[in-house]
Amino acid sequence: MTTIAVVSAGLSEPSSSHLLADRLAAGVGAVLPVEVRTVHLRDVARDVADNLVTGFPSARLKAVVDDVVGADGLIAVTPTFNASYSGLFKSFVDVLEPESLAGKPVLIGATGGTERHSLVLDYALRPLFAYLKADVVPTGVYAASSDWGSPQGLSDRIDRASAELAGLLAGRAPAAPVDKFADVVPFDQLLAGKRHS
Amino acid sequence: MQFGVFTVGDVTPDPTTGRTPTEAERIKAMVAIALKAEEVGLDVFATGEHHNPPFVPSSPTTMLGYIAARTERLVLSTATTLITTNDPVKIAEDFAMLQHLADGRVDLMMGRGNTGPVYPWFGKDIRDGIDLAIENYHLLHRLWREDVVDWEGRHRTPLQSFTSTPRPLDGVPPFVWHGSIRSPEIAEQAAYYGDGFFANNIFWPKEHFIRLINLYRERYEHYGHGSAGQAVVGLGGQVFMRRNSQDAVREFRPYFDNAPVYGHGPSLEDFTSQTPLTVGSPQEVVEKTLSFRQHFGDYQRQLFLVDHAGLPLKTVLEQLDLLGEIVPVLRREFAAGRPAEVPDAPTHASLRQAAAQRKAEVR
Ligand SMILES: Cc1cc2nc3c(=O)[nH]c(=O)nc-3n(C[C@H](O)[C@H](O)[C@H](O)COP(=O)(O)O)c2cc1C
Repeated sequence: MTTIAVVSAGLSEPSSSHLLADRLAAGVGAVLPVEVRTVHLRDVARDVADNLVTGFPSARLKAVVDDVVGADGLIAVTPTFNASYSGLFKSFVDVLEPESLAGKPVLIGATGGTERHSLVLDYALRPLFAYLKADVVPTGVYAASSDWGSPQGLSDRIDRASAELAGLLAGRAPAAPVDKFADVVPFDQLLAGKRHS
Repeated sequence: MQFGVFTVGDVTPDPTTGRTPTEAERIKAMVAIALKAEEVGLDVFATGEHHNPPFVPSSPTTMLGYIAARTERLVLSTATTLITTNDPVKIAEDFAMLQHLADGRVDLMMGRGNTGPVYPWFGKDIRDGIDLAIENYHLLHRLWREDVVDWEGRHRTPLQSFTSTPRPLDGVPPFVWHGSIRSPEIAEQAAYYGDGFFANNIFWPKEHFIRLINLYRERYEHYGHGSAGQAVVGLGGQVFMRRNSQDAVREFRPYFDNAPVYGHGPSLEDFTSQTPLTVGSPQEVVEKTLSFRQHFGDYQRQLFLVDHAGLPLKTVLEQLDLLGEIVPVLRREFAAGRPAEVPDAPTHASLRQAAAQRKAEVR
């Protein structure tokens, strides 16, 4: 079955970012049978900080990273802090191996106190995932506090974005990350200057 | 099996006193550690190579030559020699010279280095890291084995009719280990030449190194040097010992918490559970070290890091006394149940003998 990883960087308890992430995942599930693995970065916040310092993930963080990198698709939601993604969200992205999200279908979401910061999606998240060579769906979903009390708007955006991710996933072969150990470049090719990209 | 110490050569303030040793003190301390290693019965001393503060060992063969003159048995090695940014011609010359002065008690470990700016400082590009390691070593390998070399590559000026002098002692090049933390390419390289593979495992969890070492072993067999179990593997370790486990933890914690590389990150307890670091009694170090064999197979060289993070020389020398006590136990335990076909780490004597045998067979 198609797998999606859902990453939420929400810190509050309860968290509106978690709520948005769950709604997006449910939206995808309504269109396509998917297996969902949800990660709350708050639960591995220390592990992420330790990884920044030591250069390697703890066993717990490694399991989370493997889930995210190994999933066919990704839903990534961050609270807006100071007009950008949160530090924890970016730190998590920073501990992923280079190229590990390349080509992956991604749906981006953000929550915030004010609707005036909705462009965080297009000024902060979208360029980040563009750099990571992810395949980001056209619609991102921003939920300001006020959205949770207003009819329609938010639900429509969730449905549209989820359908876009489901559409991308439907036609696709399952994720197959390069395993540098399994298919080693033979020495004669190394000597000729060839490497894994 | 060989046991020894490897040093990074960092000049780090002692966090318990705030005192920073001078460069002169640190350099002399490294020498004292090497002499002590021989005195307590260890086999190997290996120095790092760095070209930026707070590290002192920029000139490994100078230091090792001096130590060679003051020791009798100790094998002098590096951890690592920067194969990316050093001129392979100069490595060939420097280590052949050292080999003669040390009567063959020399091997070396190639490494790519972990300090980005060293590449531009030496006129190289870090993006060529792997390629430099591959090409430079290929030239070095030839310089030690062919009296006259014509050569052209991507990273160095060509050579016509070049002879690297002095020629290796007895015509036997120093044994080479390839040190690696994460690159399968380096495992492949070590396997191709039938060289040793040193997994610098001290800062990372074992699962990663199991894959790396298994890859090296498989490819070693693939290239026809022997069975996977005969491949030549070295491992790092990091220890701090006191007779009483709690004393070790109490004394080492401030050094751990403030250490360069991993300080201010995970707790001592988390780090010891995830990496080879052992802080405790000599018995605990014996047990942890013996567990490496279960994970990585029978291996040939075990090097311990004992002198970083600002530990005073006196404390480090006490650590070496304790290592001297446990190494005979480790030798005995590692020897028990070791399959007969698993070789020891090559030495100058064993390599000379093998070369003589090959010559005799050809005739
Ligand atoms: C340090 C900090 C900075 C914030 N900056 C912004 C901001 O610039 N714009 C905004 O709309 N909301 C901002 N907020 C509000 C959060 O985005 C909002 O509380 C978020 O939706 C909470 O998500 P959560 O419930 O998933 O934790 C900030 C909150 C914090 C703690």
